[in-house]
Amino acid sequence: MKFSPETSVPALRNVSFAIERGEAFGIIGRNGSGKSTLLKLISGILKPTSGRIVVAGRIAALIELGAGFHPEITGRENIYINGIMLGLTRREIESRFDRIVEFSGVGEFLDQPVKTYSSGMYVRLGFAVAVHVDPDLLLIDEVLSVGDEEFSAKCIAKIHEMKHRGVTLVFVTHQLDQVRELCDRALWIEKGEAVAIGDPVRVVDAYLQAVSGGAPPPGPLGVTLSEETVQAPGPPAEKPESDTLLEEERWGSGEILLKRVALVDAAGRELVALGAGTPVTIEIDVEVHTKQEDVVFGVGIFHADGTCVYGTNTEREGLVVERAEGTGRVSFVMPSLDLVAGSFRIDAAVHTKNGRAFDYRRGVLRFVVGSRIHDTGIYRPKHDWKFEGGIAFRAVDMLNRNVPGPMAEYIRSSEAEPSPEAPKYRKRRKLEEP
Amino acid sequence: MNELRTLYRHRQLIAALTSRDLKARYRGSILGYFWSLANPLLLLGVYTLVFTKFFPRFDMPAYPLFLFAGILPWTFFSAAVLESTGSISSNAGLIKKVMFPAEALPLVVVLSHLVHFVLAVPVLLAALVGFTLMKQAAVTSAVLMLPVLMLVQTVFVAGVAMVVSSTSILFRDLRDIITNLIQIGFFVTPIIYPLPESFWLRTLLRLNPMTPFAAGYQDIIYYGRMPAITDMVLMLGYAAASIVAGMFVFDRLRDTLAEAI
Repeated sequence: MKFSPETSVPALRNVSFAIERGEAFGIIGRNGSGKSTLLKLISGILKPTSGRIVVAGRIAALIELGAGFHPEITGRENIYINGIMLGLTRREIESRFDRIVEFSGVGEFLDQPVKTYSSGMYVRLGFAVAVHVDPDLLLIDEVLSVGDEEFSAKCIAKIHEMKHRGVTLVFVTHQLDQVRELCDRALWIEKGEAVAIGDPVRVVDAYLQAVSGGAPPPGPLGVTLSEETVQAPGPPAEKPESDTLLEEERWGSGEILLKRVALVDAAGRELVALGAGTPVTIEIDVEVHTKQEDVVFGVGIFHADGTCVYGTNTEREGLVVERAEGTGRVSFVMPSLDLVAGSFRIDAAVHTKNGRAFDYRRGVLRFVVGSRIHDTGIYRPKHDWKFEGGIAFRAVDMLNRNVPGPMAEYIRSSEAEPSPEAPKYRKRRKLEEP
Repeated sequence: MNELRTLYRHRQLIAALTSRDLKARYRGSILGYFWSLANPLLLLGVYTLVFTKFFPRFDMPAYPLFLFAGILPWTFFSAAVLESTGSISSNAGLIKKVMFPAEALPLVVVLSHLVHFVLAVPVLLAALVGFTLMKQAAVTSAVLMLPVLMLVQTVFVAGVAMVVSSTSILFRDLRDIITNLIQIGFFVTPIIYPLPESFWLRTLLRLNPMTPFAAGYQDIIYYGRMPAITDMVLMLGYAAASIVAGMFVFDRLRDTLAEAI
C-alpha cells in the first residue's frame, strides 16, 4: 500500500516565461521533453509541485478532441455537454449551436449517438465545439493534424482567424512548419528544461540542428531564456519580430552559404526600388563547402508590417536536387512583381527538407515599391476597369498628380519600361560575410 | 466552503452530466425505467418470500411494506457509493484532458441514483396506499417527512461518495473493501428486521450510519410516525460529518488526481 511513487522525476524545471496577450507561442521539443505537461499545467489540469502559473482569461484546451463525449448519446446532446464542460452556459451554446454544427460538418448525423460516428467526425465535432468557446487563451496539443486534408485546412484557417481576433495561442506540435508559420515566438524544451526561447524560425532551426545531431546548441541565438524571464508581463509589447528590425539576421550550420542575394531587373542591374508590376529576379550566389544531398532553396517576401506576402521553396514546388557542389547561382524569376507601394524585405535560405538551415538570411534585402496609383493593400492583381451602358469614365494623366518627388521620376521611367535613365536608383549593397 | 463555491459554479455541468448519465443508461433499453426498480423489487420479493413463508421469523403485518421502506434508501446508498468508487477512474479522460472539476463526478453518480430513488417513490407510496386499504398500514402526515429524509440522506451519501471516489484512486484496494463492507452493511442495518428492543443492541446498530436512516424511513412509511429524536439527531450528525469529511479529503487529494489516475 503506497500513496506516492518511490522515485519521481521532475517533468519540468527551470522553465519561466511570460506570454503576452494576443501572442502565438509555440512549444517544441522531443517526445517526453515535457511539452504536454507544460500545456496541462497552463490549462490547470495538472498542478505544479513547485512554482507558479498565472493565467488571465478564459482558457480552452484542445488537448484531446472530444474528450468529454459520451458514446451513447447524440451529437446534439454531446455538443451541449462538451460546451458546458468547456465553460459555456446553456444559452451561449444555443447561440453558437448552428455555427458549431456547420463547422463540424456532421450534418445528418447530428441526432445519432456519437458511437456511430467515424473517428474523423468525432474529432471534427470536438474541434468545432472547442473553437467556438471564444477563449482568451487557446491551448493546442498536436491536434491540428487530425481529420482529412480539407478539415485540417479549415482548422488552420480557424486558428489564423482566432489569432487575428487577438486570442492568445499556445501550441505544442511536432509540425515545425506550423510553428514557423503561425507563431510569434517559440520555446524549445529538452528533458524538462527550457533550452531556447524567441524567434520561431531561429528556435526551430536550433532545435533541428540539435536533433540532427550536428551542430552544438545555439550559440548566436538572440533571445535566451534568462533574458526573457527578467521581462515581467507588462502591457502588450509590439510583436517581437515585427519588421522594424533593419539589420539582417543570419544563422545556419554553414555547409552551404548564400554569398550574395540581390534583386535585379531584366537587364541584371541591382535594384532597391522598383515600380509595381516590373519583372524582377532574386539572384542568389551559392557556395557549397561540403557536398550535400538534401538541399532546399527558399525565398520569402515580407511586407514591412511583417505579413508574409509570399513564401516558397524548391521542395514545395516539386524540385529535387540533382547536384549541389562548388559554386553556383540560383535565380528566382518573377515576370512581374505585382505589389502595391510599400517597403518589403526578402528572406533567402538554404536548408534541408526538414527545415534545418545551412544558411538562413532573414531580411537580407530590403526594397521599396513605388507606384503612381494610390491603391492600398499588398498585392495588386492585374486588372482593368470596364464601364458599360450609362456609366462612363475617362482616364486622366496620373503623372500630374501628387507623387513624392524623385520617386515619380523613377516610376515614370520604370513603369513604362526598365530604361537606362534609371541607374541613379541602382545601388550596390555592401555584402558582408558571416 | 471553497468546495461549495466550485460546485455552485459548475451546477450546469453537474446537471448536464447527470442527465447524460440517465439518458445513456436508458437509451437502447425498452424497459429502462423498470430496470432501475428491478433490483429493489427483486430483493423485496426474495426477502418477503423467505421471511414470511420459509422462516416466518418476523410476525409483522404488511412485512413487504416494511422491507420496501428500508430497501429503497439502502439501494440508493449502496449503489451510489459502490459506483462512485470508480467514478473518477472511469472518467480518466476528463480529468487528464479537460479542465474539469473532479468533485462533479461522484456527485453526478449520487444525483443519478437519487433520481432512481425518486422515481421509485411513487411505487412505495402506492404500496403504502394499498396496505392502508387492506387495513394493514395507515397513511399519516408523517409521510410528509419523506423529502426531508431524502435530502439529509443525499447529503450523507454525497460525503461518503466524495471520500471513496478520491481515496480509491490512490488506494486501489478500497473498491474491493467497499464492496464487502456494503454486503455486510445490509445485514447490520435494520432493513429486513426491525430495530431491536435491547438498548445495547440498538446503540451498537446505531454506530452504523445507515441505521438511523433506515429506521427513519420505516417510521414514516411503515409505522406512520415521526422518526425518533435520537435517529433524527444522528441522521443530521452523520450527514454533516460525512459531507465535511468528503470535502476535506477531496480538497486534499484533488491536485494529485490527474497524475495518479
